Amino acid sequence: MVFIQSCSHSIIQLMIGNFSVLASLGYKLIKNIMQNVLSILFCLSLFYLSVTSRVKAYVTVLQFQGVLLTVLLVFPFIGHFSIYALILPATLFFVKVILIPKYIKKIILDLDIKRTIEPTIQQITFLLIIIFSMTIIFIISNVLSKSTDIETIPFASGFTAIAVGIFVIIYRKKLIVHVAGFLVLENGIFLFGTAVASELPMMIEIGVLLDVFVVVFLMGIAINKISSTLSGFDVTALGRLKD
Amino acid sequence: MDLLFYALVVQIASIIVIASVRNNHKASAAAHLLLTAGLVLGLSSSFPALVFSNSSSLNFSSLLNPANIFRFDSLGLFFLNIIQLVAIPTTIYSHSYLRHYIDEGKSVTSNFIFFVLMIVSTQVVVIANHAILFLICWEVMSTTAYLGILFEKEKRDVQTGSFYYLAVSHVAVFLLYIFFFLLHQQTNSWLMSDFHNLQNTGSLFILLYTLGLTAFGIKSGFMPFHFWLPRAHPIAPTIFSAFLSGIIIKMGIYGIFRTYQFFNYAPEWLGWLVLGISLISAIFGVWYALAQHDIKRLLAYHSVENIGIIGIGIGVGFIGSAYNSLPIQILGFGGALLHTLNHAIFKTLLFIGSGVIYQNLGTRNIESMGGLVHRSRYFFILFLIGSIAISGLPPFNGFISEFIIFNGFFTTAKELKNYYPLLMIISAVGLAFVGGLAVACFTKINSIMFLGTERKEIKKFHISNYEYLSLSILAFFCVLIGVYPQPFIGIVNKVLNNGFVTANHSSELLNINWLFISIIFIALLAAIILIFFLKRLIQKKYGKRISAPWGCGYEGLNYRMQYTASSYADELNEIPKSILVYHKKVQSPKGIFPAKGSFESHSVDLIDSKILLPAFRSMSKLICRIKFLSYTDIRYYIAFILITITIYSVIAFLWN
Repeated sequence: MVFIQSCSHSIIQLMIGNFSVLASLGYKLIKNIMQNVLSILFCLSLFYLSVTSRVKAYVTVLQFQGVLLTVLLVFPFIGHFSIYALILPATLFFVKVILIPKYIKKIILDLDIKRTIEPTIQQITFLLIIIFSMTIIFIISNVLSKSTDIETIPFASGFTAIAVGIFVIIYRKKLIVHVAGFLVLENGIFLFGTAVASELPMMIEIGVLLDVFVVVFLMGIAINKISSTLSGFDVTALGRLKD
Repeated sequence: MDLLFYALVVQIASIIVIASVRNNHKASAAAHLLLTAGLVLGLSSSFPALVFSNSSSLNFSSLLNPANIFRFDSLGLFFLNIIQLVAIPTTIYSHSYLRHYIDEGKSVTSNFIFFVLMIVSTQVVVIANHAILFLICWEVMSTTAYLGILFEKEKRDVQTGSFYYLAVSHVAVFLLYIFFFLLHQQTNSWLMSDFHNLQNTGSLFILLYTLGLTAFGIKSGFMPFHFWLPRAHPIAPTIFSAFLSGIIIKMGIYGIFRTYQFFNYAPEWLGWLVLGISLISAIFGVWYALAQHDIKRLLAYHSVENIGIIGIGIGVGFIGSAYNSLPIQILGFGGALLHTLNHAIFKTLLFIGSGVIYQNLGTRNIESMGGLVHRSRYFFILFLIGSIAISGLPPFNGFISEFIIFNGFFTTAKELKNYYPLLMIISAVGLAFVGGLAVACFTKINSIMFLGTERKEIKKFHISNYEYLSLSILAFFCVLIGVYPQPFIGIVNKVLNNGFVTANHSSELLNINWLFISIIFIALLAAIILIFFLKRLIQKKYGKRISAPWGCGYEGLNYRMQYTASSYADELNEIPKSILVYHKKVQSPKGIFPAKGSFESHSVDLIDSKILLPAFRSMSKLICRIKFLSYTDIRYYIAFILITITIYSVIAFLWN
């Protein structure tokens, strides 16, 4: 019966209607499972981020995370589809997967930035720090989820991403890596937002997205300027600007 | 009231005119014309609304006034009228003032834009009903005034003075945020019309009252918070200092009236507190003024004095409110309201006058002026009218409002027996003393500036017709309110009936026989004019004899041997020497053939120099102690942020 009704709708709606039939038994369950799977993938990407020493790998990870977030955002709309609900995932995909990585790659090419990220501590130490903080965050999230209505794994993953973003900024010297760290932090906030309330108001999300884009843009300009006045892309060189 | 909206639009349109046209002189003239037209249009809509309508509030059409964000009650309209009335002559003067700078090749566009924005936002402040709109306009008003003060920003004292102003107005705004948010929390509404008759809520009541009065008191410059006035006013361009002193500090008074209106009740201790602070402000404001040599600084201290007088009226009104006595409330608040109008008028007149003098002589120091009466007699008369009015002498407007406040004192003494007569007599003596000192101060500046001979050679002394026009408008109102006060008293009475006093049509103010006062004043003016013509007649008959003053037999008199402002005020300044921080450096000539002698006198502000600056100096020393945490690398700061967030999170986690 449901199937016949949905035939009269468009093709996309038909497919989604199929899904909803499948999911009618355990829609919530499937959504939860998918969310958790995606979050764990997200965490794995963070691990990769902490051991890699290539700048380009950072960009790839950012792209990957963008795709994960887009998929994560599409999920809640499977049951009740509307064209407006697609605006946010589409914008997210455009900004995070296409625009920003392309821009960062352009900066890397233009300024001829070296391929390594110049860590200030050993990679294994960095990984240990991240594992340690991730463990604490997961334990705390687990405790919190008992008293409040949050989904543990996305919540903790988002939280971890925020921490990793900050750690990347603290322990890396290169400015372009700082930009990447900032974006990871922002991704974490996004994931965090989806975990706390099932959907933040769409306008806020889009606002944040544009905000991030503008910030990255400005950082790009700043890096350009800095490289033309100071030879080097380290934040240590910025100390010389102090009066 | 839609007309008012269009008037505001016309005023703003003057910005577009000056910004879009290249030709400076013509653009400035057109923009000033447009602004004046807008203000006249505004006045022509707000004045009838205040005078003729019987309902306590009028409204925009619903399209322009969504969700009642504007309100037109009598109090707001009264202040709106004051703003527009004063802004018109200021704008007329501004045209001739800015022309000087255009001639010098300096761009005045930005300055004019700030001026317009300041006028418009000030008008919106008094009609705003939504608290957020009020705060936004208040902020715009403060910042544009700050930007206007920065006109000659290359000067050192302009930088410090404007910073004082900015810092102080931000403290006030900060307190106002807390004030309005607390009110919102109490009433669950953002509209000021809903804040009325707030429940008397224990300790929060006191907190709210203190917050409101402190924030608005800072803006209006009551005594402990007055230190920004003598810093900011002298360095501001004349149009801004006139508007600052005439209108913007009155916005603080407006706020105090509104605060009272929210509660519609004031405890007695608050009345005494306000009365005491105001008396101190008035007395020491005028005393500080007496010790100044800079004319604008002197006028700034006179603003403190007059705000004190307004505050005395408010304090009397508060006492009346505590005892629920109608006559006291009406006389106190009525005197305060009328003095607000009067002070706006004559202070603007004096500031514009001082601006004219500064423009011509290039100095603000009284000691190097002299003999200006021979340059322009009419200017002298106009300035003199302002001076007499501010001293509270008949037959001008300052007297009327002070007379009402004096009446308030005596009515309080009559109504509340007990020990009140004694306290009220002390207050009355204090106010009379203020008047006396003001007379001393203004005889000082008028005699030194206008009489005698020129101390410094004056190359040219030109006063344009625009300047005469703007001064004349203000002087006309000084005379009008002084000689024929009934209509103005009627307006004040109406404002009180519509906003403050619950009982209807109490006519304490109207019971005073204003007709007698009018007759006496007209007779006085007539006598002065008669004597003037008599003098003319005698001069015509017998001729005019000009000779040097008697110099004790000394022949070589020159321009330096005149009575100076310092010597005139010295005796009075000696009395509160430590409070005025009055220093004298005397090097008297010695020997039979004395070679050299010198004399200097200074007065610096007590609060400013002895309390504020040392406090900030020690604070900055304290902050320098943690300088070791300052790194050049941004990564350290991010680590600090992370640590802080972690600590907060742990605390928040453990709290549960």
